[in-house]
Amino acid sequence: MTIREKILVIEDEKSISHFISTVLNNNGYEAMQAQTGEEALSMISSHCPDLVILDLGLPDMDGLDILRSLRSWSSLPVVVVSARSHERDKVAALDLGADDYLTKPFGTDELLARVRTAIRHTRTISGNDEIARNGTYTVGELVIDYNKHQVRVRGENVHLTLSEFRIVALLGKYAGKVLTYDFIIKELWGPRASGDNQILRVNMANIRRKIEKNPAEPEYLFTEMGVGYRMAEGN
Amino acid sequence: MKITRSSLKRTFSFSWRDLLVSAAIFLCATGVCVLLHQMADTIDGFASPVYVLAVLLISRFTNGYLFGLIAAVLGVIGVNYVFTYPYMAFNFTISGYPLTIFTFLVVSLVTSALTTKTKEQDRLRMENEREKMRADLLRSVSHDIRTPLTSIVGATSAILENPALSPAEQQSLLRDVRDDAQWLIRVVENLLSITRIGNDSAKITKEPEAAEEVLDEAVRKFRKRFPAVSVEVHVPDELLLVPMDAILIMQVLSNLMENAVFHGETTTHIALSAQRDGSWARFYVRDNGQGIPPQKLHTLFSGALRCEDSTPGDGKRNMGLGLSVCMAIIRAHGGTLEAKNLESGAEFSFCLPLIKEDAK
Repeated sequence: MTIREKILVIEDEKSISHFISTVLNNNGYEAMQAQTGEEALSMISSHCPDLVILDLGLPDMDGLDILRSLRSWSSLPVVVVSARSHERDKVAALDLGADDYLTKPFGTDELLARVRTAIRHTRTISGNDEIARNGTYTVGELVIDYNKHQVRVRGENVHLTLSEFRIVALLGKYAGKVLTYDFIIKELWGPRASGDNQILRVNMANIRRKIEKNPAEPEYLFTEMGVGYRMAEGN
Repeated sequence: MKITRSSLKRTFSFSWRDLLVSAAIFLCATGVCVLLHQMADTIDGFASPVYVLAVLLISRFTNGYLFGLIAAVLGVIGVNYVFTYPYMAFNFTISGYPLTIFTFLVVSLVTSALTTKTKEQDRLRMENEREKMRADLLRSVSHDIRTPLTSIVGATSAILENPALSPAEQQSLLRDVRDDAQWLIRVVENLLSITRIGNDSAKITKEPEAAEEVLDEAVRKFRKRFPAVSVEVHVPDELLLVPMDAILIMQVLSNLMENAVFHGETTTHIALSAQRDGSWARFYVRDNGQGIPPQKLHTLFSGALRCEDSTPGDGKRNMGLGLSVCMAIIRAHGGTLEAKNLESGAEFSFCLPLIKEDAK
């Protein structure tokens, strides 16, 4: 018998917790439930789950506080669940080290996709097997060549500028994961770069025009409105 | 205590606009008097009525009593000191002078009082209208919510209470439940958008967003819900950055696309596009459905909120909420929303100003 990955669902609404657990249990995971922040923290240290699904609106503690205290000693993957009205919380959670987020209401396929991605990212050190092995990242007809510093679409070099390449390279390294504007800006232009994401927008628009067939219907680089960007996941 | 202070504040409210208005009117009056003075030898008879008129106008076009009273005092001084013999000197012994002072003060007070009252009435009427809109909205929402809730409760009870149902029957009931719940989610999302706009249209926070990113995300969400409908998106080569609240504009786009499916009925294809139009960004949502019934076209936006009692039964959900939310959002952005019929299908378009009107 295979060992099933343990997932802790921290959610105070019983019905939501119930349906998430049912879906997880029926898709090869082992779900545990915690209703309060305190319970969650003690369960994390005693059960060592492989992933945590964290609702930001808990009765006893702010979800962000749980994340903060968890990140002080563990890099356990966390998928945050939040209502639409809390976009700022979403960005704050990602910047605090959450791996991904789900916006209520979400479908089961979305839930499973996020869980799969988050777990896969913890298995490999660079977050991506292929980069470690060959120095390239491939998704569809797009290849990011980390050694040659170029991006090829259908075998053709698309001639990105240096900053454009660095943005694509960064997104490729964390493919499947949403990177916040702040994170990308700090990685590219250093921690003291201004929080203005206008330059990033313009860069992204140029990249889309070079890489995508139709910039309004991207296949590789997705926008998460108000949060950041996400690279499509490879095969 | 608090109330009296705030009402006192309103009575003697100060604003730069009012000061400018008052000064302009007063200078005009003085100008007229100077002209008259130069034309005729004496204007003792003219100055008073001119200044009374000035005081009246100032009281009428400013808020509260402050400027009216100041104008009355200045008017008295002007009449007595400048334009009445002896010129450039006070003379309080002219017969009937107390009457002049009295007239000035009464004109100022009465006009200010009337003005304040009219404004109060306007405010009340606006409030009533808003209240009525809220009531209409509530009625429309309750209508939109009742039907799916009934069906959800019915379908789930049917499954729980009838263990003999075949799996196929159960599946189809559950599918209905899911569809209805998704409908409810859309209703709630629209309501959330309304709370985001708030009562004050100046409250939304605009950020420059790339049109293509907004369209992309709206379309991705739409495709998840309606995989059977094909969507085509077109954006200009040049990056179009539009100041907007992206979450709200996405709501507009998804409402328009959903309306195209629900009300176009035969819609199989939707085309979205954005383009620059002078100092505006114009977004189009075109479908190939059956179009908008001509008799509805001109009342589409005006009567959008009214839950039509004439619609047969409540099986068919009205598009009231979705469209009125679109209207409210676009209006809060300072833009316009239009609808028309194409050769086949309907076209909704809205434009958003490209320049931030911070000055307003």
